[in-house]
Amino acid sequence: MWDMFKAEMQRFRIWAIAYAVLQLVILGFMTRVVDLAQQPRLVYEVLAGVYAVTGLLLGLYQMGGYRKPNTWMNLLHRPIPHGKLAAVLVGAGALQLAVAIVLPLWLLAGWQEFMTARVVDHRHLLLGVSAWLIAVCAYLAGAYAMLANRRYGYSGIALLSWLVFSQATGLGAIAVQLITLAMLAGMVWVAFKPDLGAAPHTLPRTFFTAVPLQLAMWLALVMAGFGIEFLWIAQGSHPNNAPVPAAGGEKESENAEGKDLMVMGLRGSRDPQAPLWREQAQISEVFSFGPGLRATPVRNELVNIVPMEFDDEQHRIRWVFSHDRMRLEGYSLVDYRSVGELGVEGDAPFPEPVMPGPENSLIGTTRVYQYDSDQKRVMPRLRLPAGERITGYDRVGDDLALLSDRAVYFYDGRDLAASDGMLTPRQRLAIPGKVGDLYRADAIELLDGYLVSFLFSRSAHNAEGALPYQQMTRIDDQGNAMPIMRRDLKSGFPALWRYQNWFPAPVIYELQRAARRLFAGYQITDDTARPPVPRQVAVIAGVLMLLSLLGAVWWTRKTDLSMSARIAWIVACGVLSLPALMSLRLIHPRREVLQPQRVAQPALA
Amino acid sequence: MSTPATDYVIETVALSKRYGRKLALDHLDLRIPRGRIHAIVGANGAGKSTLFRVLLGFLPPTVGQARILGRDSQRLRPEDRARIGFVNEEHTLPGWMKVAAVTAMQRHQYPRWNQHAYDEVLGHYHVLPEQKVAQLSRGERAGLNLALALAQGPELLVLDEPTLGLDVVAKRAFLESLMYSNAAEQCTVIYCSHQMEEIERIADNLIILERGQLKNMSAPEEFCARVTHWVADIPFKGPDPATVPGLLQLQRLDGLHHYLVLDQDEDFAEFLRASGARSIQSMPVSLDRAVNGFLTKNHAAPAQPQRQH
Repeated sequence: MWDMFKAEMQRFRIWAIAYAVLQLVILGFMTRVVDLAQQPRLVYEVLAGVYAVTGLLLGLYQMGGYRKPNTWMNLLHRPIPHGKLAAVLVGAGALQLAVAIVLPLWLLAGWQEFMTARVVDHRHLLLGVSAWLIAVCAYLAGAYAMLANRRYGYSGIALLSWLVFSQATGLGAIAVQLITLAMLAGMVWVAFKPDLGAAPHTLPRTFFTAVPLQLAMWLALVMAGFGIEFLWIAQGSHPNNAPVPAAGGEKESENAEGKDLMVMGLRGSRDPQAPLWREQAQISEVFSFGPGLRATPVRNELVNIVPMEFDDEQHRIRWVFSHDRMRLEGYSLVDYRSVGELGVEGDAPFPEPVMPGPENSLIGTTRVYQYDSDQKRVMPRLRLPAGERITGYDRVGDDLALLSDRAVYFYDGRDLAASDGMLTPRQRLAIPGKVGDLYRADAIELLDGYLVSFLFSRSAHNAEGALPYQQMTRIDDQGNAMPIMRRDLKSGFPALWRYQNWFPAPVIYELQRAARRLFAGYQITDDTARPPVPRQVAVIAGVLMLLSLLGAVWWTRKTDLSMSARIAWIVACGVLSLPALMSLRLIHPRREVLQPQRVAQPALA
Repeated sequence: MSTPATDYVIETVALSKRYGRKLALDHLDLRIPRGRIHAIVGANGAGKSTLFRVLLGFLPPTVGQARILGRDSQRLRPEDRARIGFVNEEHTLPGWMKVAAVTAMQRHQYPRWNQHAYDEVLGHYHVLPEQKVAQLSRGERAGLNLALALAQGPELLVLDEPTLGLDVVAKRAFLESLMYSNAAEQCTVIYCSHQMEEIERIADNLIILERGQLKNMSAPEEFCARVTHWVADIPFKGPDPATVPGLLQLQRLDGLHHYLVLDQDEDFAEFLRASGARSIQSMPVSLDRAVNGFLTKNHAAPAQPQRQH
């Protein structure tokens, strides 16, 4: 076994070393120009994509070389269990990827840690592990694509979509990657057998083949929906690109200027002051303070939402937040030497990671801090009540609006400049809906308080959020809030369209939804008020499930499945609907039978 | 669990394999006894490679059974595979490895490794341990492959067209290394080839497959004796080919009719005389001619288009 492992290492060693050197050169150059540890999320996503493509190509090439019939026979026809052979080849591939990907990353991280004043946290080392896990997952998907039956070999690549759409962060993201890797390893183990085209017949083998394939089939249906949407857009009547948004529709409100949105929100209001407010909205300045922060930093997250650094131009210092130290670490922009640490009110560690915000502010999940350049001090200024999370922070005229997942807090903006203590909110206005549905919030100042418009339409186009509506609310200086008017908006998307990803497979839809949220913690974007499924959509979903069940009854009779396997597939198709039926057709083709009639032979020579 | 004792190294019962609408193996009943060298011949598409794939468990049969060394071919265990050597036409060895490394790998994997057999076979070739497999000529690669297979100490050695693409010298070296190997004498060899001169030299038993069916299983000389070549001087057209008994091939050269027939005795001369032959001559044929004649009898040809009148 060791010989075979060495042989496989030898096969790709030049490529692995060349890749590592190339990466070292490119990233080494980049790290001289920018701080690679403090890049925005997109940069890491691009790099992850490159690593995934690398792994995928390796898997395709390595197993593609073995897949040729004679080569495959030569490889497997030996006194070694197939699982061990698979482990040897895959182990060698994974190690090659570690050499090519992780080694240069850690070398650069080590150089940055010990040779520069830049911040390198443990999470950056984990980021290297994550890069390797992504590459190995893609490698296994490529290997599976080569080894598995061509009818469903691509399902491993579909499984990689979990890595793309997972909302998990930090160790949670690593856990998701490990689960994906385990699943893909199981798939390769199932595919690694003498008869590459054979359908799985045991429960574990069926599990590893059918589960990703059903996800792939569901994704195919989703992509079909995208295709129809592209045609709809091309045709020009899609709500998002109609020449003029439909009157009273969600798109009209989303695109409207603040004052127009205010006027629309007050239309039909019976409040005696409504006419006055409408006039005032036309001439007043409208302040938008919508949820600008869809996410805040989480400790030990692998990638940054935004670079965790800001510059003190007065002292020519760059302050970078360290997750390990939970403090800002500074280095001079003049000579790039360390200038020490900065904590809360001196040297106290921050209770939560913070990212730079407007006006020298630092924003965490529950608090806003302010950096005083003159004193080189960071002071806590705003704090939400326990259990609430920051989702927005903006100016409303001279005042400040701090948006949480439950309420808006208005502060006197003058206090921010006049003092350095913790500010107390002047008013609290509960959000009349779920923050995940909130598309925008606009306000005008009244003589006594504010008139606020909340537009809830963010996820109204799919099954994820509330149907669109606008809520006008007034709050006075004493903090008394009064709902003025609720305006239900017309959705430009019919119910069947909104639930296009749901009704073909409700159970798979909910499973993928849960999978995306696994280890993700609280996500602002998921904090929505999902309306009940419309009756007509539920009926259609039920009919499709029934048809899938009947289709499975019909099809399994034509296959060589055992009775227990038939029953399991029929139940699965009844529960999982169309994707399960499609998977059944792909995994278990019609039983191979000898037909009595032979192929007609040509005339004798 | 011990391997069932059996007198046959290969045993198939009504073995059939269908690819789409085509039958590659058609109710094949084949029993190959232990020992000796058995040659399997057949035209391209006769089902030879399919048979080997089924026998080694790389393809499931559509119906029927296949046993190899007494074991169901679909349930071969690693220990069973250690007893079966397999050499294919492409000699697919890892090109990036050195000969010494490939040898060491095989030596560690096969418990019955026979270094003497390896050295004996490889002695026919000028192969250096430090050479990479990719640097070897096709003939050297074939020799190395044979050496590795024989050194495994197999009970059954399957050679699937091992000399395909080799030049005359390499072919000769391969055959000699096989024929004079003590290891080869100790195992049953299944030799699949299109080269009749090779079959003639080494095979004790000739198995002919045609369209997935067993057509012949006998010693090569016995098969040769079944095929005769008749030359008859028949004026004009001669008898209708459809009426010629056992006809394999008919040619008309220089005004003479050449008949290659199967299983015909002196009665065939009577038939020719009755058909107007003025002179008749009978002669034996080589194995090459006999097998080729046999195999081309039912060779597919485009259907004749119907003439428009």
